[in-house]
Amino acid sequence: MTIELKKLTKRFGSLTAVDAIDLDVGDGEVLCLLGPSGCGKTTTLRMVAGLEYATEGDIYLQGARVNDLAPRDRNVAMSFQFYALYPSLSVAENLAFPLHADGLSRAEIEQRVKRISDTLQLDKILTRTPGQLAEGEKQRVAVGRSIIRDPQCFLFDEPLSRLDVQLREEMRGEIKEVLQDLSKPTVIVTHDQLEALTMADRIAVMRDGRIEQVDTPHNVFQSPENLFVAGFIGTPQMNLLPATLTGTNGHGTADFAIAGGQSMTIEVDPRIADLAQGANVTLGIRPRNLEISHDPAPDGISTKIDIVEPMGAETLAHLSDGQHDLRLVADWRVPLSEGDQVHTRFPPGATHVFTENEQVLRSAP
Amino acid sequence: MARKYREIGKAGWGYTAITSVVGFIYFFPVLWIILTAFKTRTDALAVPPKLFFTPTLENFTSVFFRASITTGTSQATDMGLYFFNSIFIAFTSVGLALIVGTLAAYAFSRYPLRGNDTYLFIILTTRMMPPIVVIIPIFLMFRLSGLAGSYWGIILLYTAFNIPFSIWLVKSFFDELNPEIEDAARMDGASERRVFFRFCIPQILAGLSATFVFGLILTWNEFLFALLLTGVETRTVPVAMARTLGGEVGVDYGLLAAIVTLFLVPIFFVTFLLQNQLLRGVTFGTVKK
Amino acid sequence: MAELATDNLGTQGAARGGFGAWLLDPKRRGALLVTPAITILFVMNIFPLMWSFGLSFFNYKASSPRVPSFRGLSNYERVLTDDKTWERFQTTAVIVGSSVLLQLIVGFLLALMFAKAFPLRRIVLMLVLTPMMLSFVSVGVFFKLFYEPTFGIVSYVMNLFTTEKFVMLGSPAGAIAGIVIADAWMWSPFVMLLVLAGLVSVPKYLYEAAEIDRASSWRTFWTITFPYIKSLLLLAILFRTIETFKLFDIVYIITEGGPGSSTETIAVFLYRNAFQFFQTSRSAALAYIVLFIVIVLTNLYLYAVNRRAQEAN
Repeated sequence: MTIELKKLTKRFGSLTAVDAIDLDVGDGEVLCLLGPSGCGKTTTLRMVAGLEYATEGDIYLQGARVNDLAPRDRNVAMSFQFYALYPSLSVAENLAFPLHADGLSRAEIEQRVKRISDTLQLDKILTRTPGQLAEGEKQRVAVGRSIIRDPQCFLFDEPLSRLDVQLREEMRGEIKEVLQDLSKPTVIVTHDQLEALTMADRIAVMRDGRIEQVDTPHNVFQSPENLFVAGFIGTPQMNLLPATLTGTNGHGTADFAIAGGQSMTIEVDPRIADLAQGANVTLGIRPRNLEISHDPAPDGISTKIDIVEPMGAETLAHLSDGQHDLRLVADWRVPLSEGDQVHTRFPPGATHVFTENEQVLRSAP
Repeated sequence: MARKYREIGKAGWGYTAITSVVGFIYFFPVLWIILTAFKTRTDALAVPPKLFFTPTLENFTSVFFRASITTGTSQATDMGLYFFNSIFIAFTSVGLALIVGTLAAYAFSRYPLRGNDTYLFIILTTRMMPPIVVIIPIFLMFRLSGLAGSYWGIILLYTAFNIPFSIWLVKSFFDELNPEIEDAARMDGASERRVFFRFCIPQILAGLSATFVFGLILTWNEFLFALLLTGVETRTVPVAMARTLGGEVGVDYGLLAAIVTLFLVPIFFVTFLLQNQLLRGVTFGTVKK
Repeated sequence: MAELATDNLGTQGAARGGFGAWLLDPKRRGALLVTPAITILFVMNIFPLMWSFGLSFFNYKASSPRVPSFRGLSNYERVLTDDKTWERFQTTAVIVGSSVLLQLIVGFLLALMFAKAFPLRRIVLMLVLTPMMLSFVSVGVFFKLFYEPTFGIVSYVMNLFTTEKFVMLGSPAGAIAGIVIADAWMWSPFVMLLVLAGLVSVPKYLYEAAEIDRASSWRTFWTITFPYIKSLLLLAILFRTIETFKLFDIVYIITEGGPGSSTETIAVFLYRNAFQFFQTSRSAALAYIVLFIVIVLTNLYLYAVNRRAQEAN
């Protein structure tokens, strides 16, 4: 492990911003801290950098405890949300800035600047000052400045948040490529799940100063461990339907009563058998997993189509059973029209069951 | 857990101690005068200077009352009148300047005239000008018109003295307002009068009070105009101080220190209250933050 | 506030017609609002200036009943060829130069000290800001008392180190130093405020980035801090130069220009000529020369203000 956080805590007065988190980032691994604003992800990053002092807990870089080291002594590289380019220096001077502390020769500095500017296509703007750069160029310079030296780890604070959609897509790929070449432990803070899902080797989802789940992008999406992660990851949001367990029929097949009088029998995780009859649960299913049929089916409920939003290749439909709203995404060829009464089916294995304490029911793989 | 380094831009009580020492040294001249004001004449003239002494209020009493040797009763000095003059003249002229200046500032900010910047430049120049330059003809003018030594003369002069400052400072506050609010009010049918009084003025009320108080201080402190253009009846405190100093052989420093101390009291309050507007005030609104 | 009765004037004014309508036209609203201020400034500033401009071409003496006669540019010629004038300008330049330099140094150091957040900062800051708000006369009184040869505290402290009796204001150099110290003490807080404004405008993340990039404090200062304060430093220099150039009160109180004429600034010199020797016309000519210098400096100042405003955008 090269970045290791143990029971790391930060309090600002009575407010606990980061609450005893444990986290490891391996060599060459890219970890994304993902969460809504105010969840403590930036504070965590800043503690690793040394810009905030940890209230409790330990930070280890390459095995050494660094809590009491100033940022300059930790040998980390960081790219800031607002880029933090030095306004009075040219792009080339900005790039060279972190190298001065190493006492490199002028030729060596020039050579490194050249290498970085070639990689990030900055060679044409080297003599400009930050005020004359477009957002995307600033971002590139900020990345360049953080990767120009050879630190113990890389930290990125909301690297793409100030770019427009198209540029963001482009830079995502570029940064990913750069990070793969570096093969250093890297932490990226972001509130954008798409960014996290595409760039990260692992994602740590945070809420209210705690880590809710750490896993690969695939697992975080496919197997959320709790209600928060389920609701937070994925667009459109996962459907979360409150229900009561009325019976189990073995092999994970169970009967649920939905508020409003409807009921259905669907196949879920076998551990449903552990729950008592009458237990209150939340059923979670992704909009793309719901299916529609015009005939009544036992594994679904009857709903009305409220609104249809074409999204190009797919169509998003808002359904209602009179009590709950459900979102469904279907291929654009599936005919959906507003006001139609349809049956919404929950296919086998597609539904996650969350118990009353918001944890998922899942058998060990 | 021992804290080995500090976060950027923050410091603790140790730092407060260091800065307090520096602040205290810097403040020492003021403090020394205040101490002198509480000393008896002997203590004030003592060599070496006394840091510890029995305080007395006799200097403060003798600012306003003079003991008569023959009758044994006390008699009021003119100092009360001078303090009244300073206050009266400052309040009236600064008030007038603020009203007139606010109207002009609004116009300069919202209805730029042709050559707006030139007007503003000329106005600022009249403030930057050494007072000695204008005072020669003003002195002659006052002498001819009989305004010399009258309240109206000095009030009018101080009003003129405060107008450029008021215009620039108040304009800087108007410039910061979002004109969209005013346009929205106009769209909703508000008259120009209403836009000005109900939307603009309330938003810059804090700025107007800051301007008012700054004007008060500048006027309160002014010396040269007062020296040349006030008479016995309209004399202000700074002139009286200078006269006490430049007068007879043995200057009564205890008395002088007491006058200065009384003169300083309002300034302490104002400095404390206006701390955040101070920069803008002393640069006539040309530097905001 | 009769000027504000300009509401809905488009309609009302048009109905009335004539001069009223012309005056109340919304197009003239700006001019109307400015009129009272301009009128007062004209009467109390512009007109006197024009008058004294006129006077500067005559040989008027306020103390003499003689009818003045036109002398053309001879007053200017005499003022500019008078060695005394140049001596006074030199004295003023020495005082302005050393006082502004001292203010810059002290103000800058104070600003660095107050750029951090620390407990009770506001109170400590007030101790340092107070001198700036005092009147010149009070400050003059303070220092006159400190420099007093027998019981003044400065003299006392100096006497501990010298055998000879220390008389601060006894020598020309000492008197100039005395004035410069008083003026710099009073106005260093002004420079501090300006520099402080620059220091707090530096985004904190730049310092954080420099810390991460392991920049030395020297390099951090020159690449990050200085660019943010340089325009304000220029403003401070110009503003204080203009103000110190007018220095009158402190000199008048502390030394009255003495010993000899060694601390007689141009303002005191003007005052003397105009009100003690009543050389009214000649003083008017000199006043105009001084005014010209101030106008040039004010122009520079506003240029710096505008350039800074553009930089900020």
